[in-house]
Amino acid sequence: MRFIILFPFVLGMLLSLTSCIEILDDISLNKDGSGTLKYNVNLSASKVKINSVLALDSLEGKRVPELVEIEDYLRKFVFHLDQEKGISNVVLESDYDNFMFKLSCDFVSLERLQNGIKAALKQVVKNPDDVKLSDQDMWIFFAEGRWTRSIPDLEIPKKNNLSLEEIEDLKKGSYISITRFEYPVKSVSNPKAVIAKNKLAVMVRENAYAVLENPNVLENTIMINSEK
Amino acid sequence: MTKRCLSRTIFGALLSAPFLLHPFQSKGQSELLIPSEAVAVFSINNFQLLQKISLDELIQYEFMNEIHQEIFDGSTNGRTIKDSGIDFKQKLNVFFGQNERFELAGFTFGINDQKALFEVFDDFDKQTDESEFVQHYRSYFNHLLIKGQAGLLIRVDPNESWVRKHTDSIWFSRGHDRIPGETDWDEAEEEILGEDADWSEDMDNEMFAIDDELSALEDGDESLILLSEEDLLQENYNDLKDSVFLAFQERYFQEVMVHLFLENKNLSGADPELAALLTHGSEAVFFMDNSRNVVNSSNFSQFRTLFPTLHRDLKELYKGNKVLGDLYLKDDQIEAKITTTYGDALGRIYAKMNNTKFDGKVTRYIHDESPMYFNYNVNLQEAYDQAYQLIIPLLKEQKNTRIATNVLVVEVLNEFLNKEAIFDTYKGSMFASYSGVKTVQVTQLEYTYDEDFNYEEKEVLMDQEIPIFTLGFSTERNDIPEMVLRQLAKMTSKCKKVKDYWVFEEAILNSLPIYIINQNDLFILTNDERLIVNTKGFGKNRLGRKKRKAIKKSGFLYAKSDWNAVMEGIPETMLSDKNREVFKVLKTQGGVMELKSSSTTTRKTDFTLTYTYEGKYENSGKYVLDVVNSLFVILK
Repeated sequence: MRFIILFPFVLGMLLSLTSCIEILDDISLNKDGSGTLKYNVNLSASKVKINSVLALDSLEGKRVPELVEIEDYLRKFVFHLDQEKGISNVVLESDYDNFMFKLSCDFVSLERLQNGIKAALKQVVKNPDDVKLSDQDMWIFFAEGRWTRSIPDLEIPKKNNLSLEEIEDLKKGSYISITRFEYPVKSVSNPKAVIAKNKLAVMVRENAYAVLENPNVLENTIMINSEK
Repeated sequence: MTKRCLSRTIFGALLSAPFLLHPFQSKGQSELLIPSEAVAVFSINNFQLLQKISLDELIQYEFMNEIHQEIFDGSTNGRTIKDSGIDFKQKLNVFFGQNERFELAGFTFGINDQKALFEVFDDFDKQTDESEFVQHYRSYFNHLLIKGQAGLLIRVDPNESWVRKHTDSIWFSRGHDRIPGETDWDEAEEEILGEDADWSEDMDNEMFAIDDELSALEDGDESLILLSEEDLLQENYNDLKDSVFLAFQERYFQEVMVHLFLENKNLSGADPELAALLTHGSEAVFFMDNSRNVVNSSNFSQFRTLFPTLHRDLKELYKGNKVLGDLYLKDDQIEAKITTTYGDALGRIYAKMNNTKFDGKVTRYIHDESPMYFNYNVNLQEAYDQAYQLIIPLLKEQKNTRIATNVLVVEVLNEFLNKEAIFDTYKGSMFASYSGVKTVQVTQLEYTYDEDFNYEEKEVLMDQEIPIFTLGFSTERNDIPEMVLRQLAKMTSKCKKVKDYWVFEEAILNSLPIYIINQNDLFILTNDERLIVNTKGFGKNRLGRKKRKAIKKSGFLYAKSDWNAVMEGIPETMLSDKNREVFKVLKTQGGVMELKSSSTTTRKTDFTLTYTYEGKYENSGKYVLDVVNSLFVILK
């Protein structure tokens, strides 16, 4: 799940600005439990709409943030994530012409990674109580060759009253989750999951609207052959 | 009656009163209760046409149910606006006024049944200060005054800045050295970061860290005690401010009442133009006295304090500046005739500015099918010359260093600058048009994956719908914008010349190009690609002869909008379900709006705004009510 936790926050923040969104989360897991996370958000399909919204003071009664505020928010998140124990090499590449953002970091363990993300989110959101995740909550587990991802109930309010165009745009958008291992994959539980040709990676791909309506579509259990 | 109820009652009365008035109404007393402090009045007159809509028909509309609920505080018991005690044979006059010290708002109306009236105004209490001729009732800050067969509902509030000024004065006179709650942010920043701090990313990081420390200090620290003292101070200040507010409110209400009832000064008696307007046979009239509205407003309070003589002179300049209008509801048209009047000084400026020859070349760049366009034709140089002759002498009389410095700068610039070049480049005239929506292609980035899920970015094209617009300015110096564009082209590769026009890539919303046509005494910005095919204009597809004539005949200003055609171009998929329903109502009940002006004299300019709608309606009144009701049903 990794960054499905980020997805509702990202989407919630962005949904007032755009509907067509592509999110890619890519995690590479090493034998010793450490790894690398890459989280990319691609809004280039909505850049005209985003630019027109950013030119406004408010939209549907809500204040439209300025670009500098969004930059600040992201820098603050990166700063706090970098401070977390077990997280290193946090890098954020931002392309404000195409509205494309790439976050990457290294971690020593999945537990550190999840705790780090939670802690960093709580630092940047206006009301930390909105991050309905306790220190004990975990959604990714990996032990004895079994990788499990479940989706927490984050109680993120959905945007009501979506226009037909917004729904269609969301359906054109996608959430892609890639998990890479150093051992070959034996099986996957999610029917939409695809195993790479080299058997070292699994991809789950779903449209953004389906994920918004039911994040559980990304749940997956992957069995790997750790003896090899 | 609550404040919300007051607003709703005003709205309901405004909407329904025109339809209820008898053609042979008596000369009402309600006009005589408009305070002389009012600067804007909207008066509903008798509608001969709309008497065709009976009261019984009106109260059938769904939106009237809500008004009835509000008026009778929820328990209508079958009662309607007919039972409110209001005399619909008299005019309903809504007014607003503001000066340096206070603002007032309310409305006057006729009364035919006081007992029924007080079932509506049931939360108003009788006051003991009534005179023999005037009854006074009050509910919180709203006052109801009844004289004869007419009533006045009014609220008078002192201006926030005026109250603040006096509160601060009292506060400091009591020995305090600052206003609670006000922080000097520069001082605070210097304290945290040090005097010579230069801002950098490291500073951001330090600020984030300090922010976290401050959050951590919130629980049971000494600073909590200091916050409490500050809170107490703030509370004392707020209490003082409230007392000042209430004292001024009472004082100014009394002032308005003395003028109105003891000195018999009302606006229709004081202003002959309003008095004349109130005798018109139109369905409604509106009046605004700009000479008191502009310079007496609270926005000018500091100016008034710092430059009292200049403020007085500006008042003199705006003397006679009023807006007067009539509203007519015809068979298939709603028409507003508006006159703006000026004093001699302003009139001379406007007359010179607005009476300029129409440039027919403009119409070549407006497509005949454009659903919306406007033209504005002025001579800025004439306006500048007149204004310079008028205002500089006024400013020179002021014995103030700041003004004297500014006057010196203006006079020197006036000598050194080539005004001809400036005003030949930007004459002041402009036009604009909207020509629907088009599909364009914009680039986006996509990820492509190989069989092992390694990915790379690829640029692809996608369709995007955007509005087509054209904006143009008159100029006699095409060479100057050309010079600027040539330099711009050297500075950025996004700007380049293509044949006889310029293109600026990604100028619109960082994504789409804008085309610049700089020739034939016009400087045009457009994203309409038809105009770059032939930069001389649309040729035979340009605005038709009848439409061109209409623009030419109009004075300095002309605008036209076919709302049905405008809305045709808007894709419904862009709208939410609710907005789509509203959109459908407006689409089927839309019409054509046209704004024309007369030539400007030194005394006045006339404007005519007409709205011609399509569809079968008995009369304009029924049309307006149907639209309002449709929107009410969707939006509730």
